[in-house]
Amino acid sequence: MNVSHTLTSRYGGCTLTGALSVTTQVRDAVSVIHGPRGCAHHNFSLLHATHLDHERAVLPALVSSALGESDIVFGGEEALAGAIRSACRRGVPAVFVLSTCVVAAIGDDVEAVCSRDWPVPVIPVRTAGFLGGIFQDGVNNALITLADLAGPAPGCPCVNIIGEKNLEYEVEENYAEVVRLLDLLGLPVGIRFVHNIPIGDIGSLGAARLNILRDPSLLPVGEHLRQRFGTPYVPSFPAGLSDTLAFLGSVATACGIDPGEALRTENALQDKLLADFADIGDSTGDFSGPVADPESSRAALEAARALRIHVSGEKGGRRLPVHPVVGTSGVRRMLHRWRRAIHA
Amino acid sequence: MPECDNPLWPCAMTGAAACLAGFRGMSVVIHGSSGCYYYPTTLLHAPLHGTFIMENEVIHGSEDRLREVIGEISGTGDRIAVVTTCVPAILGEDIQSLLAEYNVLLVDSPGFSGNAEAGYSKALSCLALQTSIETEGVNIDGICLLDPFYQGNLQEIQRLLGMASIPAGTIFCRDSLEKTRTAAPWTIGTNGDFASGVGTFLGGTLGPSALRATIGNLGDRFGQSDIEPVLRELDEREEEAVRVCDKHLRRFDPPSVVIFAGVSYAGFAAQLLEQYLDADILFLGLRNECSQSRYPSALVTGLDEAGTLIDRYDPDLVLGSSFERPVSGGRAFYGITPPLRGSVRLAPQSLAGINGTLSFLEHAMNVCMDHRPRQP
Repeated sequence: MNVSHTLTSRYGGCTLTGALSVTTQVRDAVSVIHGPRGCAHHNFSLLHATHLDHERAVLPALVSSALGESDIVFGGEEALAGAIRSACRRGVPAVFVLSTCVVAAIGDDVEAVCSRDWPVPVIPVRTAGFLGGIFQDGVNNALITLADLAGPAPGCPCVNIIGEKNLEYEVEENYAEVVRLLDLLGLPVGIRFVHNIPIGDIGSLGAARLNILRDPSLLPVGEHLRQRFGTPYVPSFPAGLSDTLAFLGSVATACGIDPGEALRTENALQDKLLADFADIGDSTGDFSGPVADPESSRAALEAARALRIHVSGEKGGRRLPVHPVVGTSGVRRMLHRWRRAIHA
Repeated sequence: MPECDNPLWPCAMTGAAACLAGFRGMSVVIHGSSGCYYYPTTLLHAPLHGTFIMENEVIHGSEDRLREVIGEISGTGDRIAVVTTCVPAILGEDIQSLLAEYNVLLVDSPGFSGNAEAGYSKALSCLALQTSIETEGVNIDGICLLDPFYQGNLQEIQRLLGMASIPAGTIFCRDSLEKTRTAAPWTIGTNGDFASGVGTFLGGTLGPSALRATIGNLGDRFGQSDIEPVLRELDEREEEAVRVCDKHLRRFDPPSVVIFAGVSYAGFAAQLLEQYLDADILFLGLRNECSQSRYPSALVTGLDEAGTLIDRYDPDLVLGSSFERPVSGGRAFYGITPPLRGSVRLAPQSLAGINGTLSFLEHAMNVCMDHRPRQP
């Protein structure tokens, strides 16, 4: 990518894509995209690729208002109404309406169209392409909008997973790792908010004893849920070896559980992991990869130190790929990639 | 324009980027937001620049930001092309005047202005393509980064031209920018949906009939050429294809087929399946504007429409993109249309030329055989 500025917001993507990564995970609803056909295609293509990566055959249901040049000139509200009408005809329980930057530029009153008398709930989600913020704003806005569909629910001993990165290649593996860790503590998962669920499941959102956020960018969502349902939250999935142990401690504390046995089990697993990769110890390499977030770097550095791998920081050495890892299993997968690189 | 369920085809901005990014010596700037930038970047696997405009630049004007990005890349020696996206186009800024001081090419093809072919064509028209009678050989067009078969098509046609001792002229659009101004006077095509319109067209290369005619035309135009090796290979390989298809028909009924593709590939696939496998071509769902066809056909822009057509016609075999695959109801499926996701593709595959025909037929027969009822 050829970038010249360091402003995160400049390169932060589009609220529409972020919001769609949430709303299309409500599998019995339809998402209407108010804008040109191409915007919907871009996102449909991205979601299609992601679904295939995750071995999900069912494609997300999107309807585009397909704005053309005359709509740009004369307004696109009737095109939106037509798209909502088409979505409602599918017999779905709800329709989400998301807007593009084009609609923000021409000034259509999307909320007014959504508030007309429709046969099913038509729920506007605050987006406006890049004019509404960045990708993460779209995610947060969509999660908060969907959270507001839920009311009070009887409590359960479960833990909710909040804001999984649905476009992430390893989303299912990361979820499985968190489930494994929760299982060590004897905690069942409530709902994956929002990942491949029917809209009816959202009603139980407030029932959990704890919410686990995917990462700290979801803090506004965690706070919203805490205020709405009184549910405490853990701010992130664990990102490395020591962070995994800390995660077990945090979750146990929040749920009033003794983490002792879980910590002993996980410690033993991590010791075995490092023993399994002792063959790549005492080597030299340099981190590489598109992701350079502090958590991933810290997790990688910690694993390197544990294996006495010297990170040279020099170009031209062995390139040790770094990607965002979750839990001990995530570190194990990263170490397999390092072994491939070191033995190449 | 009516609403559209799950739109199947990219916009004009993406098509323009696909055209321009194919040329060495061209730096392409997507003038718009990061969201608009990321899609063509990931789709085309080509280096693109972006202005990544933000809200304040929409309010106060994006000229400064555009000037800044152009200034950063203007020292590379490349010609700079700016492709506009929807919002800058709506704002109506006088980008042309701004760009005058930089000798920058402006391609005004916002997403709402049309489909990928429209943007591709618009970009080509902005390039001021020229032919030169001093340039030897024949241009190859229809080579578009959007097309998953472009690399294979190019390799195959270059191979055939090499066999015939005919130099390849300019490749549209996968060549140096310089060569667009000295294109050969003659052109042959690989995918008519992305035709260049440059020079005198001597024919396409999709399917044996078209290829044979085109090779004949080349032989007429190029006195020093030797087209016999190509025609000999074409005859031999076609005979082999006929033998294999004939053997296939001894055991299997001809497939009934629905095809979703651009006009060019859809017509090629239909004709080949009909000619060699006696297939029943039930319907062509075309990605781009319809032209006259001897098969039932219509423009199909959304996935729901495609799924409805598959249900209605109930074909044995569906050809299309990986969008259509999951709505094909477990029928035999072969991907000829972008995107082709969900499978690993490393080696270039062609549809054009001799190997393109063979590859197409073998895939079609194999997927049909894989879907036949099996004995316990």
